[in-house]
Amino acid sequence: MAAGDGAGPLSPHCRELQSLLRRRVSQVKPYRIKSSLTCRAWLLYPLLPVLLAFFLAAAWVNPAAAAPASNYEALRLITEALHEISQKFVYKKSEEEMIYGSLRGLMNSLDPDSSFLTSQEYQQVLSGQKTPLAEAGMELIVKDNLLTVVSALDNGPAWRAGLRPGDHILKINGHLVRNQTTQEGNRRFQGKAGTVINLQVLRNGQVKPLDLSVILESVAPGAVTNKILKESYAYVRIPYFTQETAPTLAKTLKELQRHRPPLRGIVLDLRNNARGTLEQAVRAASPFLGDKEVVSTRGRPPEPNQVYHGRAKEDVFKPNLPLVVLVDGGTARAAEALAGALHDQSQAVLLGAKTVGLCGLTKMLPLEDGSALVMTVAQCFTPSGQKIHGKGLEPEVAGQTPAPAVTGAPPPGNPPPEDDPWVNQALEILKTGKTPKKAEKAETR
Amino acid sequence: MILPKKRWRSLLPSGKLARSATYLWLILILCWGLSLGLSAPSTADTRDTSMQMAAMPEVASPAADAKLRVLAQALALVEEQYVEPKTPKDLIYGAIQGAVTTLDTHSSFMTPEEYRELQIETKGKFSGIGIEISLKDRSLTVVSPIEGTPAYRAGIQAGDQIVKINGASTKNMNLNEAVKMIRGPKGSKVTLTINREGFTQPKDFVIVRETIPIRSVRARIVEGGIGYVRLASFQDLTDQDLQGFLKKMKQRLTPFKGLILDLRNDPGGLLEQAVRVSNEFLKSGLIVYTEGRSPQQSMRFYVQPGDKEDLPGPMVVLINEGSASASEIVAGALKDQKRAYIVGTKSFGKGSVQTIIPLEDGSALRLTTALFYTPSGITIQEKGIVPDEVVQEPEIPAGKSVQKLREESLGKKLRKEGITDKPWSQPITAEELGQDPQLKRAVEILRNWPPKKMAQQAK
Repeated sequence: MAAGDGAGPLSPHCRELQSLLRRRVSQVKPYRIKSSLTCRAWLLYPLLPVLLAFFLAAAWVNPAAAAPASNYEALRLITEALHEISQKFVYKKSEEEMIYGSLRGLMNSLDPDSSFLTSQEYQQVLSGQKTPLAEAGMELIVKDNLLTVVSALDNGPAWRAGLRPGDHILKINGHLVRNQTTQEGNRRFQGKAGTVINLQVLRNGQVKPLDLSVILESVAPGAVTNKILKESYAYVRIPYFTQETAPTLAKTLKELQRHRPPLRGIVLDLRNNARGTLEQAVRAASPFLGDKEVVSTRGRPPEPNQVYHGRAKEDVFKPNLPLVVLVDGGTARAAEALAGALHDQSQAVLLGAKTVGLCGLTKMLPLEDGSALVMTVAQCFTPSGQKIHGKGLEPEVAGQTPAPAVTGAPPPGNPPPEDDPWVNQALEILKTGKTPKKAEKAETR
Repeated sequence: MILPKKRWRSLLPSGKLARSATYLWLILILCWGLSLGLSAPSTADTRDTSMQMAAMPEVASPAADAKLRVLAQALALVEEQYVEPKTPKDLIYGAIQGAVTTLDTHSSFMTPEEYRELQIETKGKFSGIGIEISLKDRSLTVVSPIEGTPAYRAGIQAGDQIVKINGASTKNMNLNEAVKMIRGPKGSKVTLTINREGFTQPKDFVIVRETIPIRSVRARIVEGGIGYVRLASFQDLTDQDLQGFLKKMKQRLTPFKGLILDLRNDPGGLLEQAVRVSNEFLKSGLIVYTEGRSPQQSMRFYVQPGDKEDLPGPMVVLINEGSASASEIVAGALKDQKRAYIVGTKSFGKGSVQTIIPLEDGSALRLTTALFYTPSGITIQEKGIVPDEVVQEPEIPAGKSVQKLREESLGKKLRKEGITDKPWSQPITAEELGQDPQLKRAVEILRNWPPKKMAQQAK
């Protein structure tokens, strides 16, 4: 999960501190995070300077001098390249700009969650990142060097402006988007309420870029909504994951449990949902899975592997209700982790389209000039051991709607669930109890 | 390249860099999207290096040193802790890429593979068998064999499906991979297994590779003594090919009433070639000049004096928003000198010069090193060349610009498909003219030469 993208107010510190702690603790005993995953980073605030000092010290003894020998060749190459640029490029560029450009390029070449923070940005993060006053309500990543919309909050500012998952943002306020990290891209859409941002957007399959304007506003946390459909099937929608998601979801499910006649099955809609942390996914899974494993993260040694479990007492449905989970190309991060867990542990059927494949743990690593790297150090795996990060989840049943017709107008908003073809497809599966697995899979190929 | 194997620190920009390569060999104009450029001829390498050192006054600044140390630290951290092991080279390519993209849209970084591909494209020839291929309904299909090449002689036909290359199935092969397998050293053999309508089973063709020229020029004629020349790009042999066609036209067309030079969708290429092409049509004067940060990058290019009796007569130049850089130099020079009437839509507006700078491991930088100006001192940058007469073209097919953007962002350089191969001496039909309003207008203008606007200017 991306640190510092405003996903959760605690996330950046939380993750760094966790990872620091993890390192120390793991030497003593295998560290297993169980059930309670709210990072209690605030408890550690008094310790922050100490921990940081420890960390910086570790970084100091390990600058260039300690770089592996194979690095010299590589460094010589970039030195040569930077020298040529400083001598010959038609305009003069500052050294800092070039080095920071290189660091952005370096981190962008890794994965969409890895980023670079200038010293100013890093200071902001350390000084306690506030939840932005206002935002556009969308998640962006840099993919193939293009700033791409992963998901847009239902009826949020970006959605109302006409932005849709998969759109590429070419220009922001008339300026070409170039060499931006995922973090920077997202930060461009945070600011004062009422700020107007003009965008040039390219939609797949369209020749001409669209001009759209998005107005920042303070976005209410996406509420969990539900609807009882005919024959006692329920539809539950999670638009984005926030700190509020797990409690509201639990409450919603408890209410649904009291429904009479008793529910026969649930359609859980996780489409177009790319915001949320791993912790939030784990907590949201508890009402479905109790203390079963939700997700695990594996890092490169010595980064420890971790298994995340929900809480037994939060389990709502015993035995589990039949469940179909809707996913699509806008499903990422927490939503992917949850979808994978429900599939593996609760026989939930995944329906829709392939998910994004963004599910990792990042860590902030300060550099000697005060800037910092945000780097993926561990990747998520579903309980059955399937890797999510970089791969995505392939639903066993493909959503039957043809791709929306290519028109100049943005695709229409979400239809009510009973008119949504994928929801109807899901209901069909719940009613018949049959998953047209094999046949559908062949079709998607 | 001879670089002493020292530790990298000693190679920090210190003014002591003994570098044998790079200076200003080759200026090239770069296209956007499908790039065509050129590496420097190796003969230009032997420039006076002491001069170069004198031209590098930079001293090792502590600031620069500290910045590089930060980079070294970042590299080490990623190498040690990133979730998947990465080689230093992968990482450094990403970093150089990042540095270059902070410059401008026309500067870029090429991996050794991309750089080699570029060299092939710009040399105007490669070693292969002479077919143009594309993926049609997912199967590798021959678009056309090029006349006179080994593939043509072996009997390969347009529409043939290539099932296997040297026994390897082409299923799931992308175009780049296929091209790479078909090309190879001159004199070596390649076996294509071909499926064709009428074959009961696929048949093997064994073909010996030769040097194949890439044609950037094609020509046709129009009834009434009008010649038509289309330049697809500016590469090594463009001027020679152009001369060849002009010569043939002079013999065949009597009288040779006029010439249409089609630069539409020509993304550019070599600056040197733009100068040479302009030289074919101009008597004297300035063609273009460049200005950069260093004096070496500022140059003026004039028409070469010589036998100028035999220039083609009235000329119309066709441009559109796909005409860039070298195309704009030619159109700008011919327009400023009132040598040709420009028809079409405003050109792309790329007025900068890129130099290819090879790095020591075979990768290369393409850097914007200068801006260029038309003889009257107008920069083309962002303004483009405005035609004397605007004629719109039919709508472009959907999806095209998406493709362009993809190619640009991925740095892919798939060669454009060739243009239909009709013999040059076959006149352009009325039907063909009907499909191309700009060309049709150009023909009308030449038939009623001079156009009013030009006649007025002359007064």
